[in-house]
Amino acid sequence: MGTVLSYRLEDLEQTIAQLSREDCQIMAGGTDLMVQHKSPMGAPARFDKPVIFIDHLKELKQIYQVNHDLHIGACCTYSEMLEHPLIPSIFKIAIKQIAAPAIRNRGTLGGNICNASPAGDTLPLLYIFNAQIRLRSSKGERVVEIQDFIQGPRRVDRLKEEIVTEIILPEMQADRFVFEKVANRRADAIAKISFAGSMRLDEGRVGDVRFAFGAVGPTIIRSLAIEQKLKGEAFPLDPKIIDEVAADFDQIINPIDDHRSTAAYRKTVALRLLRHFLETM
Amino acid sequence: MIKFHLNGREVETDAPPTARLIDVLRDEFALIGSKEGCGDGECGACSVFVNTLVQNSCLIPIGAIERAEILTIDGFSQTEQFQVLSECYSEAGAVQCGFCIPGMVMASAALLSKNPHPTEEEIREGISGNLCRCTGYNMIVDATRLAAKKGEGLW
Repeated sequence: MGTVLSYRLEDLEQTIAQLSREDCQIMAGGTDLMVQHKSPMGAPARFDKPVIFIDHLKELKQIYQVNHDLHIGACCTYSEMLEHPLIPSIFKIAIKQIAAPAIRNRGTLGGNICNASPAGDTLPLLYIFNAQIRLRSSKGERVVEIQDFIQGPRRVDRLKEEIVTEIILPEMQADRFVFEKVANRRADAIAKISFAGSMRLDEGRVGDVRFAFGAVGPTIIRSLAIEQKLKGEAFPLDPKIIDEVAADFDQIINPIDDHRSTAAYRKTVALRLLRHFLETM
Repeated sequence: MIKFHLNGREVETDAPPTARLIDVLRDEFALIGSKEGCGDGECGACSVFVNTLVQNSCLIPIGAIERAEILTIDGFSQTEQFQVLSECYSEAGAVQCGFCIPGMVMASAALLSKNPHPTEEEIREGISGNLCRCTGYNMIVDATRLAAKKGEGLW
């Protein structure tokens, strides 16, 4: 039996103090961790360090706006986000494609980020929103861009004494948002490919365009350089430009074969989603 | 010791904090209405209410539910809402092997308590986390729609 020591402390301050004293496994909703650490025959889930429960911490459940930034507490569940008036509608559209009501009542935004799955459902949208991750420890606070925070599958830039407290979404204007998830089942499925895109037109030309792919590489794939190339182009886009962008992405997306899908299928569908996004408004 | 409310009673358990709620319910409290199908949160057979919200008990570590109110199908079966759902499931022919039904009924109840007049699409969304390998779902959708009508004012 591994250790069964755990903590469920009264507030965030005490939780942070404990993290400064001891390396713990932080658990929010547990919808990923309880599967990853499952024991056979219904024995308790096994962890190699003490578990610290955080999903009850009210400090991590706030959603509020400061100037043009939306702050979302790390332990807000998908259901809480669905019901909150400040959450952008494209996130609500995406959340309806995540899991099913029972998991949406438990899974958290912070958990989805820290799990850092290449197929993490919220990640492509967080990337195009230029989301920032706010972390706290007993030594202070820092804010990291999401693409720097997520370093690889299950690897994030979090020191063991730190806890993710908030996700900050800068305000974003677009004429169109897209979220696509390709999976075997409409509910409770892990994406084979996911895609998020946004476009803003200024007088018939591309003013701002952003797009990101999930599950076709070790982390979410977004290219600022390719997005930059499209800025100022007349819309509808010249088919030649679309071909060029698709060819560029063909080079940088690098999917794998696994039990959910094949690399060839993932690449084909990812590029078609991209073309569809660039061709339609 | 972890204390919580189970089907209206205050209970406590000395199960390790990372024990799964489904195991504690079944093994320690002999509440065997909730089933373990997949153990991965994909089938919904273990659905229970946690503070009125439907959740998968196979994904919940017991240490996370200190002071929470847990309602299982065993407790829910004592309610008027259950009676209506039970009649409607039976009338619609929504039950075959029965393994998924405790979870399905909890999902139907969770949906109706939030949305007493759901559309067909909303019913399908409401039970989307629950797998049934017998019925093809149509009769379960019918049963839930019927329960909305017959249980008017209850939800």
